[in-house]
Amino acid sequence: MSAFKDPSQSSNPYREPTPLPESVPKVEELGTTSAPLKSAAFFIGAYCKEYNEDFMLCKSENRDPGHCLKEGRRVTRCAQDLITKMRENCLAEFDKHWNCLEMNNQAYNKCRKVERPLNKCMFEKLGLLKTIPGSPEGQKPIHEVTNPIFTGVQK
Amino acid sequence: MPPAGGFEAIKYKRNLPFRGPSGVVILGGVTAVCAYGFYRLGLGNLERRELQREKTWSRIHLVPLLLAEADRDAYRRQQAALEREKEIMKDVPGWEAGKSVYNNPRYRPESSIMLL
Repeated sequence: MSAFKDPSQSSNPYREPTPLPESVPKVEELGTTSAPLKSAAFFIGAYCKEYNEDFMLCKSENRDPGHCLKEGRRVTRCAQDLITKMRENCLAEFDKHWNCLEMNNQAYNKCRKVERPLNKCMFEKLGLLKTIPGSPEGQKPIHEVTNPIFTGVQK
Repeated sequence: MPPAGGFEAIKYKRNLPFRGPSGVVILGGVTAVCAYGFYRLGLGNLERRELQREKTWSRIHLVPLLLAEADRDAYRRQQAALEREKEIMKDVPGWEAGKSVYNNPRYRPESSIMLL
């Protein structure tokens, strides 16, 4: 029979080959790695606000993974839509920014130089503005400060 | 008789060359440098708070996306486990596959997983 094995000490990964049941509509996963996601995070937040909030409200109703599949698919489709649009409109800026994040420990403050053209492009072409909720009123938000204290070693 | 042109002046003044800025100036300078440093530190602390806020919000914006993806995976595994349980326990009369041991409909994640 089976004995208890600690999953964290298992030599083989936790794999489950069975696909999703047919009753669940298919959605292609985003497949974007962490740096592009981090680069696009604020635009995802702006573009997919309704879907994201809907999904999180649904999750707060019930934590069951089966409960919010529909809302989850909408969230993923919206993010996919955004990433596609971003790549269509601001590919060069986007690539530069996420590559910079990749090389700089994913710290925003070290990539302001390449972030600004991306923000500008996103605002001009897609009308999406990067805003940080909760920033102090009457001050420049941190991503627009021209002479910050914390920068990279090389400016 | 005195020499022509008179005697030399008597050297009675102490010979004290200038030995750098005074204590007050040094103290003032140190205070000024420290004050500027603390001012910059304060600005830096405020800035770090904003950077932290930016980082936190970038993660908050990604939570629904990642959670949705993880949920689909969890649901797939859940359904597979349920099917497996049904298959294994099909000969046991009165067995309800996937029934919680708690008398409470609240969702609880699996406490154990099967490694295939």
